[in-house]
Amino acid sequence: MATKDMTMGNDPGKARAPSMTVMVAIAIGTALFAGGFAGFNEAQIEAGDAAVASWAAPLIAIGLGGAVLAFYVWRRADGFRSWSRRKRIYWTSLIFSGALGLVTALLLQDGPGDGLISNSALTPTLAVALSLLWVVGLTIALALYHRSADDHERYAYHQSGLAGFYAFVFPCPVWWVLWRADMAPPVDAMALFGLSLLVNAAVYLWFKFR
Amino acid sequence: MNNQLKVLRAMRNWSQAELADRLDVSRQAVNAIETGKYDPSLPLAFKLARLFAMPIEEIFDDGHKGHDDGE
Repeated sequence: MATKDMTMGNDPGKARAPSMTVMVAIAIGTALFAGGFAGFNEAQIEAGDAAVASWAAPLIAIGLGGAVLAFYVWRRADGFRSWSRRKRIYWTSLIFSGALGLVTALLLQDGPGDGLISNSALTPTLAVALSLLWVVGLTIALALYHRSADDHERYAYHQSGLAGFYAFVFPCPVWWVLWRADMAPPVDAMALFGLSLLVNAAVYLWFKFR
Repeated sequence: MNNQLKVLRAMRNWSQAELADRLDVSRQAVNAIETGKYDPSLPLAFKLARLFAMPIEEIFDDGHKGHDDGE
């Protein structure tokens, strides 16, 4: 009975397992390459030399990063095939969320504002596109994530969600009443959103990896 | 809650990642349970019991001795 039970699950020893560290390193390498290329481009512009369009750096970096990742997946194909359905969906949701964030950042960076974090005006087309990207993309990513999160992941997610909620519930009314007494500037929703996300991420990472 | 997970895993010469794959959870989940930082849900505890072919109370110890009589 014991022998039967022990062989019921996946047999992880057979295939060479893909390394998450390698895949994260590829993602970081891609971001560093894009940053380095963008910096070089800026320097070229400042020096008055020929430079390429600002979207070229991330596009080339994504292309190269994608090619390296594809090569790694191809080399470790057996390992990836041995992954359970839950694990595949989980990583798909994470990669999808990352891609969503990257596309959003690129659109904001190249938009008519002062960069990523700015309150300057957007064109209606860009605003609608970003809104749709956020709502539809987040819905798909979360549907995939919640279908694949394991026990421990759900626990970390709930704890961090609660912490993020408190990070909004405590400062928001305080700021609002202080503003009404002319003791503070008007409430900035995005600042509170950012704070809530930061607290959420910190608590999630603590419970997931401590 | 104390548990015998690390010992049972070592007896089978499994890494945390191997046990995680057999349970279909993340390696971090196995590590958190082993170090007592996280108590698994009842379905996961049953999954562990089936995998090791042992009763749940032989894997996990909540510190209470004997049977509760409801008083």
